[in-house]
Amino acid sequence: MENERTAGPTVEGAANAAPSAAKDSGLDLIGLTKVFPGGTVAVDDVNLHIDHGEYVVLLGPSGCGKTTTLRMIGGHEVPTEGDIVLDGHSLVGLAPHKRPTTTVFQHFALFPHRNVLENVEFGLKMHGVDKEQRRKQALDALEMVGLTELADRKPRALSGGQQQRVALARVLVTKPKALLLDEPLGDLDRLLQLRMRVELRNLQRQLGLMFVHVTHNQEEALSMADRIVVMNDARIQQVADPLTIATRPETELVARFMGDNNVIRGRVTERSGDRLVVENEDRVRTAVVAEGDPRAVGDEAMVSVRAAAVQVDENGAQPAGSGSAECEIVFVEFLGDLVKLHLTAGGERMLAKVPGDRYPEFMGREGDTIRISWKEDDVQLLRA
Amino acid sequence: MSSSSGPEPTPQLDVAELEQAEKLERPPAAERALGDAERGARGRGWVTVAWALPGGLWLGFFLLAPLVFIVLVSFWTYQLGAKSGFTTKWTTANYGTIIHTSTYWHNMLGSLYTSLIAVAACLVLGFPVAYFLALKVQNLRNQIALFIIALAPFWTSFLVRSVAWTYPLSDVLGKLGISTPSSASVRLALIQLYILFMITPLFFTLAQVDRTAIEAARDLGGNWWRTFTAVILPQALPGIVIGSIFIFVLTMGEYGTVLVVGQNFVQSVGTIVNSYITNAVEYPQGAAAAVLLVLALIAGVFVITRLSNLREEL
Repeated sequence: MENERTAGPTVEGAANAAPSAAKDSGLDLIGLTKVFPGGTVAVDDVNLHIDHGEYVVLLGPSGCGKTTTLRMIGGHEVPTEGDIVLDGHSLVGLAPHKRPTTTVFQHFALFPHRNVLENVEFGLKMHGVDKEQRRKQALDALEMVGLTELADRKPRALSGGQQQRVALARVLVTKPKALLLDEPLGDLDRLLQLRMRVELRNLQRQLGLMFVHVTHNQEEALSMADRIVVMNDARIQQVADPLTIATRPETELVARFMGDNNVIRGRVTERSGDRLVVENEDRVRTAVVAEGDPRAVGDEAMVSVRAAAVQVDENGAQPAGSGSAECEIVFVEFLGDLVKLHLTAGGERMLAKVPGDRYPEFMGREGDTIRISWKEDDVQLLRA
Repeated sequence: MSSSSGPEPTPQLDVAELEQAEKLERPPAAERALGDAERGARGRGWVTVAWALPGGLWLGFFLLAPLVFIVLVSFWTYQLGAKSGFTTKWTTANYGTIIHTSTYWHNMLGSLYTSLIAVAACLVLGFPVAYFLALKVQNLRNQIALFIIALAPFWTSFLVRSVAWTYPLSDVLGKLGISTPSSASVRLALIQLYILFMITPLFFTLAQVDRTAIEAARDLGGNWWRTFTAVILPQALPGIVIGSIFIFVLTMGEYGTVLVVGQNFVQSVGTIVNSYITNAVEYPQGAAAAVLLVLALIAGVFVITRLSNLREEL
């Protein structure tokens, strides 16, 4: 089973869904909008296509609309506008129990008065599966999550991890077409959370089922998703595979929210073809390739450079890359495998990540002035 | 679970890895030891005694002492002309008298019947109110405001309410085919008077119900009724039991409302006890009647808790 966990993040899977008509297979959100009574716009014109067998993570700060989107798919909120289409059929107007989706709720939401087996059987019972069949299927599901021996325990007699596995068995036993997970790892301790990421992802691959997972944890999203949907302020900011989200943020929000990106605001000082040079008043200067961007010399521009792509130049050497800055080391944060150098270039805060084993030879100290540089390929022009 | 169940391996979580990760983070032994230490510290010492003291004194002085006195009086001898109507000579004759008074048992059964009707009616009428307040009113401020409004009848004095039941409402009741004064009008008055003792505990237990569990039940295919019986009702059970005990105890021994609304046409165990004490001034017989009533109440409460297994629920 170990060698099945190979498919990593792929760049080519980053096809953005066109906000067009629904396809016959998979889940489509079309112009999905939710305005709460009182006028709060929770979700604003969200368009997204998700394929069967795909693991999609909705990521964003709290209040960005990701949970409301998930709840609309599950039928727990009614959209103000737009449509939700699964395999060519609209789900809008159907009660939660009439939809081929099930939800794993944030705090597991187990039925406290029913034992583990009865919890898992509940959905089958509601769908009219006869007693013998549902017992068998429930026991199979418990086998899958390794809880056969605890079948007659009450939920409160279980650990957090076990409760979560009951919640998982309880929804999977109903054979949904799409599994919706609302912060499923949020209640778990860190080590278990890390392990559960791998296990949940692995289970999803084995099942070949569509998973739509909501989280505010960037690392969780990167480690689990086929595609990440970054949301902010009720809108989708960027839809892409984890590698693209991590290395090629398209907006300032994505660059900042994903963390460890240097966002540089400045003005275009040169332009030759698609190649712009952006500079700011703190003498941070970088080239960036911006295909089809209309900006001319003098226009404002914002770019992002990953902290991990930033190199610290040897003393006196020519800058290795096409972007560079003169910085003072403000704080050295040692993290084992890597060292984060918190820097300042004039007023601009910057961040560089250097490998932990290189740090002793490099020997930068707080207060030192260093020169950093980066390659043109690692620079990304941002939308505001 | 996948559509093609071929030779591919059955989906499976690596449970050993998960359990190991969880154990590393929360060693069960250490957690238990910590819990034991906390409990131990709380269980011992004079602090506990100090906390228990005011309540203990209160109960001792106002509940236990009078109860013991009533039990004593019930075994003393009635004597006309003696100071306070009895001498401290031990006897079981009072109980003999009461046990052989058929009116007493007749009224006891009548009160039990009234009381059961009141419990059932308060439950049926009170549950929707509590359900609405706890689960349908979303905003906490509205919830509290509506709850206080629901309590409003309780603020008017007993006399005003009873008189309202006796005179103005009797016309309305008459038109509905309920003659006043009658057992039916007394029961209606009792239900109105005490229903809050059902609504309050129900409201507080229903407010504790895990709302996402309700959503989960809906999500898994439960319609309203299945969700209600599977998730809401079991969690409301402690409130139902406590409310039922309140209504049972309060209506079974009730005599004030019976006197005012029933106007001597309706009797209860309470009116008999009262007549021994205030009309006949036969304290020992009255005390014996009261002790038997208390025993009946204890038996009733015992039955209610047994039926519902309250201790397990709490």
